[in-house]
Amino acid sequence: MVLEITFDVPYSQWNWQVAVYTALIGLAAGAYLTGYVADLISWQRDAREHGPIAKFGYLIGLVGIGLGGPILLSHLATPFRAMLIPLTMTNFDSWMTIGAYMLGGMGLGAFLMFAWTAFGRTRPHRRTTDEDGPGGVAADGGSDVATDGGSSEGGPAKAATGGDTADGVGTAEERNGVLSQLDAIADYTRPTEPVRLAIGGVFAIFAAGVLLYSAMAFGSGSFERVALWDKTFLIPVMLFSGLGAGLTASVGLAAITENPTNQTIQNYSLIGSGFLVAALGALAATIFLLPEQLPAAEPAIDNMLGTYAWLFIGLAVVAGIVVPVLLSIGAVLGQRRDALSPNAATASYAIAGFLVIVGKIALSMSYLLAAEFTPLPLPV
Amino acid sequence: MSTQESNNGPARVIPNWESCIDCGACEVACQRTWDLPPETDRIQVLALDHGTEDETNKPMQCYNCSEAPCVEVCPTDALRIRDNGSVRVSGDMCIGCHYCGVGCPFGAPQYPDAGVPEADEASPLGARGNGLMDKCTTCEPRQEEELEPACSSECPTDALLFGTPDELSEKLSEDGVSKPFNDEAAQVVFGDDADEIMSG
Repeated sequence: MVLEITFDVPYSQWNWQVAVYTALIGLAAGAYLTGYVADLISWQRDAREHGPIAKFGYLIGLVGIGLGGPILLSHLATPFRAMLIPLTMTNFDSWMTIGAYMLGGMGLGAFLMFAWTAFGRTRPHRRTTDEDGPGGVAADGGSDVATDGGSSEGGPAKAATGGDTADGVGTAEERNGVLSQLDAIADYTRPTEPVRLAIGGVFAIFAAGVLLYSAMAFGSGSFERVALWDKTFLIPVMLFSGLGAGLTASVGLAAITENPTNQTIQNYSLIGSGFLVAALGALAATIFLLPEQLPAAEPAIDNMLGTYAWLFIGLAVVAGIVVPVLLSIGAVLGQRRDALSPNAATASYAIAGFLVIVGKIALSMSYLLAAEFTPLPLPV
Repeated sequence: MSTQESNNGPARVIPNWESCIDCGACEVACQRTWDLPPETDRIQVLALDHGTEDETNKPMQCYNCSEAPCVEVCPTDALRIRDNGSVRVSGDMCIGCHYCGVGCPFGAPQYPDAGVPEADEASPLGARGNGLMDKCTTCEPRQEEELEPACSSECPTDALLFGTPDELSEKLSEDGVSKPFNDEAAQVVFGDDADEIMSG
């Protein structure tokens, strides 16, 4: 029998920047996808109450990509070289290359879809002052013209985000006209609704690719040196956590602007909780089943439950999944039973939205910090 | 004498584990030959199972794998397998993403910090600094002069075997030479020829 010794070097390749990057792009992709579904439903059912989820889903998608990209670039030795994606990213066997193109596509899509849904007098999902009566488009979509700058005289309301009383935005607009220019550009470039949604659908494919990439980015090649990152277990975790965090964060923002929240937003909150519970199930499967199937993963699981328990159990699981689920479900039940004030419900959704972002980052950090290279037995 | 032009696969340096005495001569030879600072680890003698009865020392470096995992994961094609089978990194294309470091099972990729002088474009075999990937080049310029790599030529205990696949197969069949890899690692390093080479 050949005596084998273990060639074991500690995992030391990536740092917090890669973890934050994968978390933000997963969050962004989940938000974009759920936002797009809301956008689609809103158009099909002619029900504008889905609109805020769509708008904030696109916004979170845009911000997530906008922050995640530079954070990753800051990790690289030559960020400017890496930015020349068409020239440098040429190996399509590498998920980093695939992901780079997916991110580019989704980033463009999130920008366009957000701009088309958030700006302009004729933007979709807008509220009207008199139920789409003549000239009744209201400023930022508020039906209450007193608070959003819309016109109560039957004439056209001031456009989009530029209402006179829209939390100071209107004042800025009066000063420099930037927002009115954005409104004009959005109205000029926005295609018809079917075409806009078709374009959004194409970009949703890129977003789905980014969501998958948020798992595949934890890649160690065909040799699969990091057993903790086994794709059978990691992909469900990242898919469900991305969708759950993205939707719950969108609900949080929508609740802040749509106080008191309507039943549609409550339903989205419950769906977001469902995704988070699914992520919890996938994590439980990882903890209990992965070491059985891949013994090399056991040290990393021990790290997650030991050295990094505060990060994984405390922040990622409890603060990032369990508490947001309880807050969301509690807020919905409280509202439907008239046991919770609108402000308290809004606060619950908003806090849940904040916590899932923290939890998503903590989850990615856990997967990175707890990682161990699979020891390579060498014969002696 | 083996050279990189050998047509039955790239010349490699592989370890003869049991002969290594952790003298560090290979590390010093590498750094001195290529004027590399001490921070570089193109070859590194690792203490395995440190502090236990099984503690041993193993020299580890790039083996120019036939099925190189680093080449597969490199997003920019900075790593490539040349026509002669050696794995080469282009400092002009590397972005320092560390994917190769995650993918390589032998810990060969290194990422020297800014303290290491950068290679210029005319001398791609120089050390790369600023976080770009750097690794063993199997001393290709020395091979062109019919010389062995610095590490294997200066190893006092013949713990580093150098040669083409055919030559390594002969050396591995000699008495007192240990098997360098298990089956899985041998497949990565030697590809389809693994069984033939390892069986000597």
